[in-house]
Amino acid sequence: MVLWAVALSVFRESIRDRVFYNLLLFAVLLVGAAVLIGQMTAGQDLKIIKDLGLAATSFFGLFIAVFVGVGLVWKEVERRSVYSLLAKPVGRPELVLGKYVGLALTLLVNVLVMAVVLYLLLAFMQFSSPESVRAGWEAPAADPALLKAFLLIYVQLLLVTAIALFFSTFAGPMVSMALTFGFYVIGHFNADLKHFDAVVTSTPLAWLLRALYYLLPNLAPFDITAKVVHGQLVPAGYLLMTIGYAAIYIAVLLTAASFIFSRRDLK
Amino acid sequence: MHAIATENLTKDYALGFWRKRPYRALDSLTLHVEPGEIFGFLGPNGAGKTTTLKLLLQLVFPTSGRAEILGRPVGDAGVRRRIGYLPENPYFYDHLTAVELLDYFGRLFHLSSADRAARVPRLLDQVGLGAERRLPLRRFSKGMLQRVGLAQAIVNEPEVVFLDEPMSGLDPIGRRMVRELMLGLREGGTTVFFSSHILADAEAVCSRVAILAGGRLVASGRLADLLAFGVKGWEVVVDHVDDGVVDRVRPLADRMTRIAERRYALELSPEVRPERVLADLAAIGASVVSLNPLRDTLEDYFMRRVSEDGHQRQVEA
Amino acid sequence: MTARRGGRPLVFGLVLAALVASFVFVEIWRDRVYGEPAPGDSVLYIRSGDALGRMSLSFTPLVADIYWIRAVQYFGGARLSALPTRRYDLLYPLLDITTSLDPRFNIAYRFGSIFLAESYPGGAGRPDLAIALLDKGFRANPARWQYVQDIGFVYYWWMNDYRRAGEWFNKAADVPGAPWWLRSLAAVTLAQGGDRQSSRRLWQALRETADNDWLRSSASLRLAQLNALDAIDQLTAVVAGFRARTGQIPTSWDALVRARMLSSRPVDPAGAPYVLDPASGAVTLGADSPLNPLPVGTQVDRPAR
Repeated sequence: MVLWAVALSVFRESIRDRVFYNLLLFAVLLVGAAVLIGQMTAGQDLKIIKDLGLAATSFFGLFIAVFVGVGLVWKEVERRSVYSLLAKPVGRPELVLGKYVGLALTLLVNVLVMAVVLYLLLAFMQFSSPESVRAGWEAPAADPALLKAFLLIYVQLLLVTAIALFFSTFAGPMVSMALTFGFYVIGHFNADLKHFDAVVTSTPLAWLLRALYYLLPNLAPFDITAKVVHGQLVPAGYLLMTIGYAAIYIAVLLTAASFIFSRRDLK
Repeated sequence: MHAIATENLTKDYALGFWRKRPYRALDSLTLHVEPGEIFGFLGPNGAGKTTTLKLLLQLVFPTSGRAEILGRPVGDAGVRRRIGYLPENPYFYDHLTAVELLDYFGRLFHLSSADRAARVPRLLDQVGLGAERRLPLRRFSKGMLQRVGLAQAIVNEPEVVFLDEPMSGLDPIGRRMVRELMLGLREGGTTVFFSSHILADAEAVCSRVAILAGGRLVASGRLADLLAFGVKGWEVVVDHVDDGVVDRVRPLADRMTRIAERRYALELSPEVRPERVLADLAAIGASVVSLNPLRDTLEDYFMRRVSEDGHQRQVEA
Repeated sequence: MTARRGGRPLVFGLVLAALVASFVFVEIWRDRVYGEPAPGDSVLYIRSGDALGRMSLSFTPLVADIYWIRAVQYFGGARLSALPTRRYDLLYPLLDITTSLDPRFNIAYRFGSIFLAESYPGGAGRPDLAIALLDKGFRANPARWQYVQDIGFVYYWWMNDYRRAGEWFNKAADVPGAPWWLRSLAAVTLAQGGDRQSSRRLWQALRETADNDWLRSSASLRLAQLNALDAIDQLTAVVAGFRARTGQIPTSWDALVRARMLSSRPVDPAGAPYVLDPASGAVTLGADSPLNPLPVGTQVDRPAR
């Protein structure tokens, strides 16, 4: 169908624009770190490798989501390739959604490959570490629970992509990038907004901040790295609700983006 | 049913940041294009030709008025399947090759892979890009992009094709290719709506034209009708006029110019029927080498109408 | 037909509102079921205030605010926690980061030291850390005599070290801009520090110089407690007098009122009635008096000289 054709063209463009070279950097970084940290106290390096692997997945993914995301619609309009595209039987909402799915696909491949690389490295550590060291680990090396963390990282990236795409329907890349990164940072400190009444004396202001807490994207709950690395259980219900939250939020952003784009004069 | 129809189509743009002053890019355009004809949409730069095309393709939304393509409102989803569009100064996707681009667009039309595999090479050959089909588009020159643009405009074998400055950036060979393409499309029953400011090209292919200036329709109709008003006379070149018969020939024309030994150019005034003169010349024993109407070119007509309109605007303002 | 602009604003607005309401609802529900993510491990992955400071770029004061909020939240959460093994381990690191990010963060020093010094389980029970924090504050803000005074105070009240307390009050008095009475406070502390009267003077001084309501009411509470202690002493003396006169322990306050030894049933400064134990004759605060628990220690029990 048309949406899928648009999505595949975004994916193909990502390949041709060499987006996936970041995977090489990731692999080098991780293996390099593993080698360097190998000298540290036994047992600590597992936690650090896991932390590093998950953090790097999130970090690289973030850059892809933002840098590619802000150009998804904007580039088409700026370069005017959108004219010939929209003259075809492609609705404007389909274009917006197709672009989103394309980048989601790119990110999926990226995260999956990173997960595989990390697991390979962890499996290697599993086999090469002596029994005494392994006994001290809070969680197994190639822990399947890490997949939960990867899942939430991916979902968080989808949310950031939606934010970037939303801005790209009406703003240029500089502004969009600044706003998207801004929302990302705010999203991580969001939980503090709720408790700002500890420093703010005016009650209406505290209520406003609490309202903002609920309306702004809350990204901190997607980071379950600490729990997973320490072998703590993350309930399935928590995963479901967090993913549900993201899904609805993404729906809001995509709906708004489609609406805005549908009403624009493409001069 | 008209192939394309507009009724009082108007587009205002809001200019300025704080106090928005409306700028009327198109003012109450009403025109009809019949199926199967080549329609030339002419006008100077900034006349509103591209705005009209964008309104027809719903790239921008009208301030007021209506527009229909093939009897359906321009926003209709089904209509898009049956039309094609070549934008001005087209840009596609740098990272794709010509084949990939046409294949992608073909997919958007739900063409089967068999169809795409058959049509794409044929179209590329038709527009003269056979050799470069696997080059990435970022390496294409303006002329090559123009050709790709034409190919993608007709990949779905449309019933109506919109071409914005189709000859732009092309060398004479390319222009002939475009002309032949348009004529071929007409032969196949496709309606061609093209905008241009190169009047000679329009003159060569169009059945009807419309002239736009300053956002307003200044003239429209069949080319022959429009230019008939401008027929200035006829030129007859005759040979084998011996000195003896020169005097019998002279009164037939307003002016007589000697070109060579026994060859003269006669200028006839517009009221005179050239057939009568030819008969008379035959009776005298001269032979006719050529007969040409001295008429306004489209360019003369165009200049006249546009400057008239300009004066009228000044009077209004 | 006119080519209408895509999208219908009204429908769009309603759909959007419904979706926004849904995700807010999901979030509230999730927070309720699984609790909010504690500002614990993830917050303190980076413990170095310097590193954080560099990472915050020009947002350092804001990040300091955020860490302060987290410190307060952490402290409150731990304090209200029903767990018997509540822990305040992260309190000092959080306060340390806050004050590294913003060395002029006044209430972080003053409140923070109170949270740290207060004995477990009401506080962290780490007067040493409180002193470290205040010391850091003074080094960053050499004009702030209040921090030095607070250090003296921690020595006095929580560590019962009157000599050091007096020394620090003297140091506070040395700071340019310090109020005149610090010198006499130092003298009093050194001379007779450790009794209720000098403690009272200390709390009064603190109440006068409090930056904000919280400190002020905290000091008022302490003063009320001291008054309650005085009152308990007096009431104990009255009970003893009754016993001497009648040879019996009074069964209730009314007995003392009837005996004209008291004018009415005694009430503590917070308004809760004192309790007389008919078995032993001991006078204590009412169980639900807000003045509980009364401070103990030589700084309140040693009679004035």
